[in-house]
Amino acid sequence: MISLYLPGRTWLHAIPAGWKLIALALVSLTVAPFDSLPLMAGLVLATLALYASLGRAALAQVALLRPMWPLFLILLALHAWNGDVLLGLVVCLRILAMVLLANAVTMTTRMDAMMDAVEPLLRPLALFGVAPRAVALAVALMIRLIPLLFALWESLNESYRARTGRRGGWRLLAPFCIQTLRLSHHTAEALAARGGVPRGSRR
Amino acid sequence: MSDASLLLDNVTLARGGRTVLDGVSLELPERRVGLIGNNGSGKSSLVRLLNGLLTADAGRVVVHGLDAKEQAAELPRKVGFIFQNPDHQIIFPTVAEEIAFSLEQAGLPRREAAREAVPALARFGREHWAERPVHALSEGEKQFLCIIAVLVMEPAVIVLDEPFSSLDLPTRRRLEALIAGLPQQVVLVAHELDAFAAYERVVWLHEGRVAMDGAPAEVVAAYRVFAESLG
Repeated sequence: MISLYLPGRTWLHAIPAGWKLIALALVSLTVAPFDSLPLMAGLVLATLALYASLGRAALAQVALLRPMWPLFLILLALHAWNGDVLLGLVVCLRILAMVLLANAVTMTTRMDAMMDAVEPLLRPLALFGVAPRAVALAVALMIRLIPLLFALWESLNESYRARTGRRGGWRLLAPFCIQTLRLSHHTAEALAARGGVPRGSRR
Repeated sequence: MSDASLLLDNVTLARGGRTVLDGVSLELPERRVGLIGNNGSGKSSLVRLLNGLLTADAGRVVVHGLDAKEQAAELPRKVGFIFQNPDHQIIFPTVAEEIAFSLEQAGLPRREAAREAVPALARFGREHWAERPVHALSEGEKQFLCIIAVLVMEPAVIVLDEPFSSLDLPTRRRLEALIAGLPQQVVLVAHELDAFAAYERVVWLHEGRVAMDGAPAEVVAAYRVFAESLG
């Protein structure tokens, strides 16, 4: 799921990251055992209402779900094959609601606040010599680079089409990987130029 | 040697089996230094030595009194580095986080760095950028963010490695004006030869050696003649 930070300050921005994550975990645990269609439909509607309360820019992010349609279709088809379309619908609605809720958290939570909330959970990693701060930085970098990777794919696709008139598709995978490595090399250099990954968890 | 100068003493550097710097010696106390030359002449390698991104194979590099080999860990705070492509340089998804990271690298504890990010932006008149996602900034704004992120670390030297490449002319002029006003020593690598008019010194590198070194008017003119002769 591609989630982009929503600029501005909505009421959801103001809630501490830890609370939002706990609420997300509670909701997903609570609804997991139920297969009731009205319950799931209600959950999706409530989630959409939540988006509406955050403003138009938030509602526009619902469009990011478009790539998930094939998954929903496959799930529905599989359940239809098993003779239980209703259950398929319930499963799809549950996934839809959970993805939307998770996205609502990421789009209203700054990366550093999220990492502060998650870092205590990462602390056991220190036993294996992995600095929790380094993991947190890696996640932040990943979120930062996602829009860049999309732009990179688009520019490769454009170059391919400019010379062939066709879409690149899978043929772009190898050059994409190479370009991605180059990008990561540049980013690593820039990180080193500013003193590299902070060691330890100074607060 | 004065303490506020950049010193390269017989520096040699090989990258990927190719000698990119070949016995370069320079003493640069000037506040505005330009570096010109063809692609592959060693400009980018030279400036990377100043920040500790590369280490000389032979010879000595001293940056404002810091030995680049012995005191490499201190260089990133002493020398701010601006790269060609701001997208390669910005590490965090929002502007405030990007600035907070620099403050943290400069030694502030994390919580304080997060608090200080907005006041730091305000010093550059950009506090309204704090919550903006970096991917929503224009190219010029991204480059400006990179510079703010470097300036808040209060370096003594600022190195800019082809910072104008992706900028339109008005944005480039604004950036040049910003650079002109910086109190720090500046080392600028650029192909835009008119950018050096007000500089105190320009060094022309060719195939890893200093081809010419002196006042911008003469060095730029000589390089222009040489470069045109190749074309």
